[in-house]
Amino acid sequence: MPKHIVRLISLMVAGLVVALIAKWYFTDDSFYRFGHFRADSVAEIAAREPAFQTPRYCQSCHAERYAQWSANNHKTVICETCHGAAKGHPQEKAKLAIPADTRKLCTLCHEAMPGRPRTQPQVALDWHSGGQQCIVCHNPHAPKLAGVVAAVAGDAAAGGKKHAASCASCHGAAGISPNDTWPSLAGQSAAYLVRILGAYKSGDQSDVMMSPVAKTLGDSDIQNLAAYYAGLSCKAAPGEAPTDDAAAGKILAAKNCAACHGETGIGSNPAWPRLAGQKSGYLVNALKAFRAGLRKDPMMAGITRGLSDADIDNLAAYYAAQSCEPVAQAGKTP
Amino acid sequence: MKKEAITSLVARRSFLRRIGAAAACAGAVATTGALGVAKKVAAKSKAASSGGSFPTPDYDWSKRRWAFGVDATKCIGCLRCVEACKTENGVPLDASHFRTWVERYVYLEGERNARIDSQSDPRNIAATGSGKEYRFDNRYKDAKVEKAFFVPKLCNQCEHPPCVQVCPTGATYRTKDGVVLIDHKYCIGCQYCVQACPYGARYFIHEKGVTDKCNWCYHRITRGMQPACVEVCPVNARIFGDRNDPASPISQFIRNNRVQVLRPETGNAPNCFYVGIDKEVS
Repeated sequence: MPKHIVRLISLMVAGLVVALIAKWYFTDDSFYRFGHFRADSVAEIAAREPAFQTPRYCQSCHAERYAQWSANNHKTVICETCHGAAKGHPQEKAKLAIPADTRKLCTLCHEAMPGRPRTQPQVALDWHSGGQQCIVCHNPHAPKLAGVVAAVAGDAAAGGKKHAASCASCHGAAGISPNDTWPSLAGQSAAYLVRILGAYKSGDQSDVMMSPVAKTLGDSDIQNLAAYYAGLSCKAAPGEAPTDDAAAGKILAAKNCAACHGETGIGSNPAWPRLAGQKSGYLVNALKAFRAGLRKDPMMAGITRGLSDADIDNLAAYYAAQSCEPVAQAGKTP
Repeated sequence: MKKEAITSLVARRSFLRRIGAAAACAGAVATTGALGVAKKVAAKSKAASSGGSFPTPDYDWSKRRWAFGVDATKCIGCLRCVEACKTENGVPLDASHFRTWVERYVYLEGERNARIDSQSDPRNIAATGSGKEYRFDNRYKDAKVEKAFFVPKLCNQCEHPPCVQVCPTGATYRTKDGVVLIDHKYCIGCQYCVQACPYGARYFIHEKGVTDKCNWCYHRITRGMQPACVEVCPVNARIFGDRNDPASPISQFIRNNRVQVLRPETGNAPNCFYVGIDKEVS
């Protein structure tokens, strides 16, 4: 073989050997262990610390909130969906975010939008809340309004005695008001009565007549009275004859009130008052008081803002003309 | 002697001197190198012999076969998954980098093709006022919508991933438990994989010069947790689990539904299974 060919071949072999050694030397130790990649990188990626900690982590300190949340509709929405990742809490991050703008947060899921499944509860923002924050009415950990219904465990018989002593002179011997300005209480939702009497007692709501009376009531008195009135028959309340006003009121009611108070004034939620067969003068006064801000309720303030005096008269006439439920159902405290 | 001959001799001498110096340097390097090589040999033989579970002491990747399910009939387009993913994985907080994203398909009455937008659509970004938070605007509120739905998307962790096939450095690979990972130390930022992926699942981080994509939160699933997007989804539209376990949520999801994958014609054999999407979704 010619000398220059031998030199060339040996040079190539030397180059090859150097290249192979270099490759062996510079390739990471774990490369090729499982394939054409660096096996150590798998462990490196797996070693990263998770940011989201799951509700079990939150439960260890916030057991009470956890219990409430896990028993209610939002149980599929984990704590960190709204409060942010809990990594570093409480050691480095003392507090997680408590979303201030719930109209922004809640509508991410609950704004009525084409494409959302029908099963998803959705609201049209324009009319639903009257510009209020969602948490005014809804507890995010127990969002269904039924969740805020006051507990009623009163003794109706004791309530009856208290009624005769303190209330009967205005609200009627059988809970049916003798005049147009004071509300009938027979058959009223017990949970609503507990709430509203509590509000008079605490001063959240005030009335020349009611406030002094309510301040003398104990918590058990309130429970007993609510149980007593809820059990009374409202049948004796004479449904007022429908007028032209009532027809106009029906349209207004369907648009503004029916969602909560029911189409005929018997709402599904015991937290809200029944309106069917209620005194029309009382309804007018109450609506005007909400509109003027004398009675404070964010929901009612939003709803009544757009009502004229004539609208209020029509609504009151409509609900006053509705017949209240049969005795058997009215007696039930839901 | 002639003048030219003397000059050439001087040149030859200086050349030989330089060669000598270079050889001396090479020798020095070789000696230190030999020491390094000896260490290297020891390290390599040690790495090859270590056994046990991999990649962590509590997790054996040969026992799992992960898969992902998306139930588009449940998705409400709240984009909590997108924000959670960014937090969990340190994805740049802007409108152009996403490991997972959600598309909205809207068919208006009288139109043949769907109108498609995602959270990075300028009008949806304008709805939050910043590229750091995401929400779908209500642009079809008053439109006559015939049909509309949301489709969450993410890396399909294909059985035959084209991104792995094109990677020149072995920086991206498929693990034994069925997740395609990226080794940022070996990634040279050539972005062949970004182009190879037919789903647009990969993105490039300019600051780091590497590509990135969803890895089903590999650091979570190897700890027995769910991926962050699955965890925060309020309506359980995302399902995750081990197909080796017949009782896992994903096994039940695949068993109890008629599922489909995106772009089956590519032969990539994705491991994300969809329910409730039109053929137009790809």
